[in-house]
Amino acid sequence: MKTNVIDAAVPLGEEDFAAIGAQLRAARHARERRSRLMKHVFLIVFSFIMVYPMLWMLASSFKPDNQIFSNLSLWPSEFRWENYPKGWNGLSVSFSRFYLNSTVVTVLSVIGNLLSCSFAAYAFARLRFSGRDFFFGLMMMTLMIPYHVVLIPQYVLFLKLGWVDTYLPLVVPKFLASDAFFIFLMVQFFRQLPRELDEAAMIDGCSPYKIFWAIILPLSLPAMGTAAIFSLIWTWEDFLAPLIYLNDIKSYTVPLGLRLFVDQESQSAYGQMFAMSVLSLVPVIIFFLAFQKLIIRGIATSGLK
Amino acid sequence: MRKWLNRNAPGYVFLMPWLLGFFLLALGPILTSLYMSFTRYDMVSSPRWVGLANYDYMFTRDRRFWKALDVTMWYVVLSVPTRLIMALGVAMLLDKGLRTISIYRAIFYLPSLLGSSIAIAILWRQLFEGDGVINALLARIGIEGPNWIANPDTSLYTLVVLAMWQFGSPMLIFLAGLRSIPRDLYEAAEIDGASRYRQFFRITLPLLAPVIFFNLVLQTIEAFKTFSSAFIISNGTGAPADSLLFFTVYLFNEAFKFFRMGYASALAWVLLLIIAFFTAITFFTSKYWVHYENERD
Amino acid sequence: MTTMTRRAAMARLAATAAAATAFGSMASAQSRRIRHFWWGNPERDRRTFEVIDLFQAKHPDVAVSGETIGWNDYWTKMATQTAGGNMADLVQMDYRYLFEYARRGAIRPLDEFIGGGLDLSDFDKGPLEGGMVDGKLYALNIGSNSQVMTYNTRIFDETGVEFDPINWTYDDMIAAITTVNDKTGGAVKGTDDMSLNITMLEAWIQQNGRGFYDPEGNVTATPEDVATYWQFWADLRDAGLVVDAHKTVALGNSKMNEQGLVTGETAMSFNWSNQLVGVQSLMTDPIGAAMIPHKPDGAPGQFIKPSMFMSLSRDAGDTEAAIAYMNDWVNGPEATAILGLERGIPCSPKVRAALAPNLSPVESLSVSYFNAIQDKVGPLPPPAPKGAGEVSDAFMRTSESVVLGNIAPEDAAVQFIEDSQSIVERAL
Repeated sequence: MKTNVIDAAVPLGEEDFAAIGAQLRAARHARERRSRLMKHVFLIVFSFIMVYPMLWMLASSFKPDNQIFSNLSLWPSEFRWENYPKGWNGLSVSFSRFYLNSTVVTVLSVIGNLLSCSFAAYAFARLRFSGRDFFFGLMMMTLMIPYHVVLIPQYVLFLKLGWVDTYLPLVVPKFLASDAFFIFLMVQFFRQLPRELDEAAMIDGCSPYKIFWAIILPLSLPAMGTAAIFSLIWTWEDFLAPLIYLNDIKSYTVPLGLRLFVDQESQSAYGQMFAMSVLSLVPVIIFFLAFQKLIIRGIATSGLK
Repeated sequence: MRKWLNRNAPGYVFLMPWLLGFFLLALGPILTSLYMSFTRYDMVSSPRWVGLANYDYMFTRDRRFWKALDVTMWYVVLSVPTRLIMALGVAMLLDKGLRTISIYRAIFYLPSLLGSSIAIAILWRQLFEGDGVINALLARIGIEGPNWIANPDTSLYTLVVLAMWQFGSPMLIFLAGLRSIPRDLYEAAEIDGASRYRQFFRITLPLLAPVIFFNLVLQTIEAFKTFSSAFIISNGTGAPADSLLFFTVYLFNEAFKFFRMGYASALAWVLLLIIAFFTAITFFTSKYWVHYENERD
Repeated sequence: MTTMTRRAAMARLAATAAAATAFGSMASAQSRRIRHFWWGNPERDRRTFEVIDLFQAKHPDVAVSGETIGWNDYWTKMATQTAGGNMADLVQMDYRYLFEYARRGAIRPLDEFIGGGLDLSDFDKGPLEGGMVDGKLYALNIGSNSQVMTYNTRIFDETGVEFDPINWTYDDMIAAITTVNDKTGGAVKGTDDMSLNITMLEAWIQQNGRGFYDPEGNVTATPEDVATYWQFWADLRDAGLVVDAHKTVALGNSKMNEQGLVTGETAMSFNWSNQLVGVQSLMTDPIGAAMIPHKPDGAPGQFIKPSMFMSLSRDAGDTEAAIAYMNDWVNGPEATAILGLERGIPCSPKVRAALAPNLSPVESLSVSYFNAIQDKVGPLPPPAPKGAGEVSDAFMRTSESVVLGNIAPEDAAVQFIEDSQSIVERAL
């Protein structure tokens, strides 16, 4: 487009400028439309690749067991709707119970994680105190150790506390900021906020506690939203800790329930397992769609500054 | 003393839950695992002190230890950059005003929701088999693909693809980071006539640096610790021919299949040191490319 | 039920669930409590919980807590509980873990209870001895098992394969799979490639007249045994009579759902006989059961093995209640009727006779197969030494290289036998 302008008549009048302006604008619009279209085409193709496995899983959830492995199609040749009700009530304990248990554990865990991790992150990111870097290093170290070797010492600890076969080993650590991932995530976001905010508030006589509640937290909605989503999804899907700490089948969470369907050494109910796997994702997806709004709302708040 | 308290008290008050958790729940188990690494411990009888024997065996005689290290390093090198670039690219695409964006965001996160379920294991095998979907597509453009999963030379790539495909978490974090960049900076740059590329390198990258840094550190740690996907796709053994013998898969089998918790703990501490080494390097170099708002002055 | 009351009920349920499980165990009025832990599947869990209810109805003073999870997760949880000294009173045990747990002292011998609380008087002696370690009965057989070549009867019939499933030889097998290949134009292969299957290898070595290990736990298999086994399958593979090398490696340690027999790619696979019901549930064509082929003049390769055991753990408190439960499990007419053949063929002839009239077709198949092989099998091989599990992993690894053609069978066999010896020595 630029060459167009240069090739035009040498002396330019005002109306020429207006015309060129209009031309440029039109070209920009066309370009934007084209690129938006391209973007959509790309995103749609890409989306298909991303959802394909879900579709396959959905299809499998309607197939009879003897067709899941010999038949790759995305459309069941005969629909077994009963995989759903049968799966729901197919185990010795109904899935209603597993959902209830998972909900209790997950809600408590998300609250615990958001509170305790944002406290710790605020301390690491915005406050000065001696020993800060040392503790930060220790916290990072807890991220690096493979979980399987601390499994047994932790089990012994919770056993001595009398917490095995209860939800306490799953929930209490969350209130004690045991998940360093979230601390580090929030640290990175808190450190991005302009220092002048705290300083101004400090001059106005705000305590560090007030600054945390009134300034840092409201400005960190994208980070908190992200942490909430991850915290929910990971707790909902967590398998190893419930496996180790829960004995009574009535206290099992959804992922443990799913594992009860499949025994690779003998008879299994794959269709029902897929049906229940599909259902187990529903609450997570709903929560995801609801909470991602927090991330988006972030624009408005940070625009304020 | 009073001054010290005044200066430090708020920090420790906010850190209190973490400190409690660390000293009550984390420190003990971590130190116990360090102790176990100097013992022979079958988890039934009590641990027996053997000094450095586990480490000695590991470095001098254990071929599979080196194999596991090799597999894991390759995986880290291949999967971390590809996954991050993928996540950042898609996050930027989604960040710029598309109205339907929330649907795409949800769709792109779906694969990460599936995690490492049994469904993924079954599906991954069907996709990458000799006559699977991937090779059917390749055949269209005249390429005859190998049996990706069964071939020890290619099996690792199927896991790298899995890692790329499950880019949802770093993508969301990037997105949150992009959302935290004030719009007016871009508007000002637009008025100054800065090109898209210039905007990316002058505004987006520097302001996103803390989040990129976070994702780099975390994804590296996670990649080193990759367990579930390798475990389910290799049927728990690291097959074929140990090409999927990830460090943690080896460690898990040593501990829970062969009753050598002592040796597994030694493996864990070696892995910890390796991860710590790379993390320390990343932290050290970050001084040169990550700048925080509150350190500007 | 109206919305209101349902919501109230849900809330109450939530409250009790949270309170009961978060703060203290589910302990109820019963003063005595035993825990039973098994690996399961929906069908097995259903039957087992039914037996638990039955037992509790008869013993109102004993609370039985049933704990279940799938095979893979079972052993992780079991090891953790063992380390913590919190094992369930009664645990389900498998032959390949029995010696690890017994010799390390995690489970207790049952001998002192036999004749007292535990009545084993009419049990078959052979299958019962499978639970002996160092002369003591550490594990009670709750179902027997044997190797089986499972085949697709529709394909065998349609291609006109004729054979004697009990008395066939390897040559008969080659003839059969050649027929399947020819008649289907190669669309269905005669069988999966068993190069990676250590159980078939063990049978092959048994047929040569020796065990893989001797009673002291040394490796007695020779490189030649292993090399000829790999070569046998390599020849079939080269002739295109079995699935291709990559498929074989991908199949790995043979999850049932991926076997060629189940996916329809082959007409035959290897299983354990208690898996027949499971295999049939994943297939539409009816299945048949054949023995592992024999060698002409060879020793018997197969044996009858306990498929699952029940053991009394080191941490058991109320042993009297635990033994009463165990006894009811294997002798009680109602309990055994509920359990059926799900865990394998019961040891007690009385129980077997009582079950016979109510069997499904595939269950009848497993019983008649079991009866037919009785005098064709050898004795149960001596207990595998510590490290046997690792040897089996090493076999997988080496076989994969052999199948992919990266190493010649003879060289691989020498290396594998050397590796096995050092693994067994390290595990001591």
